[in-house]
Amino acid sequence: MSAERIDPPEELLSAYLDGEATPDERARVEAQLATSEEWRDVLEELRSTRALLLASPVREAPTGFWDSLLHPDIAPPLPTEPVRSIESAPSRRRSRAIAWIAGAAAAAAIAVVVLVPGQSRVKPAVATLVSRHAVRSSVTEDPVSQLAPVSKPVQLGR
Amino acid sequence: MTTDGVPTWEEVARDHGRFLYNVAYRLTGNDDDARDLVQESLLRVRRGLETYQPGSLEGWLARIVTNVFLDEVRRKRRRPEQALPENPDRVLPAAAGADEMAAAAGLSDEIQVALASLPEEFRVPVVLRDVADRTYEDIAGSLGVPVGTVRSRLHRGRRMLRIALVESGALE
Repeated sequence: MSAERIDPPEELLSAYLDGEATPDERARVEAQLATSEEWRDVLEELRSTRALLLASPVREAPTGFWDSLLHPDIAPPLPTEPVRSIESAPSRRRSRAIAWIAGAAAAAAIAVVVLVPGQSRVKPAVATLVSRHAVRSSVTEDPVSQLAPVSKPVQLGR
Repeated sequence: MTTDGVPTWEEVARDHGRFLYNVAYRLTGNDDDARDLVQESLLRVRRGLETYQPGSLEGWLARIVTNVFLDEVRRKRRRPEQALPENPDRVLPAAAGADEMAAAAGLSDEIQVALASLPEEFRVPVVLRDVADRTYEDIAGSLGVPVGTVRSRLHRGRRMLRIALVESGALE
């Protein structure tokens, strides 16, 4: 064996396994594999680890996730500004609560208008109101929460 | 589909959402962050479709979801209380929910926990290669690093993943 021989770097094994090694690199890896049990062991470990990942089932999104994004009545309008951090799960829960409260307040406000015709003859469609208002002013993906300004003057519970 | 062959935002979500969510989940390690990552990625997709050139859509999506994920990682790094350790080889704490996932039955969860235990600089190449099936060149483009760096990180990432799986008992 030549004293000048330089062992190839071990990271070539991953490239070899992935078919990303050049022909020259492939030849060097195969020569090393032929003489090194350690390299053969590492290659087998890499292969089995990669196989585990490849075989792991696709993670499906929670039920309702795609509907909430794609349903035309509730699909979020495109924000024109950067949205909140992806890390803010607690704030998402808060925003859901706010959205629910705002939605309830808005519904109450609409009910007042509809159920008391003597005060107003306007009978807006809820879906249209939500949609139009959200499209005009929303800066987040949650159109319902954008109804908050509409609900404010109602002052429920007072 | 628009007349110039560019899909609509809804078509991307419908036809490639499963791919997008799976990659997001493998990157973040939990459903809460994966949902947020997918939503934010789709917002960028919607904006990006105006200039999108038809090609490898999943490659483009993988790049977007990676960028959004890494933006978040960088944002976390700027927070003093969550600064990275000085030794980059030190394993970061697993993502939120990873411990709970470990208690669940099934090797898939153990794999996810092991993945989540990798520092993101090693986790991302592994996910992009072994989950998203991207080429080294694609991954290098997504990360803005040379292909040689991808090779090195991917190899080290797999070796670390192996160790984590052995330590968890998922592999012998």
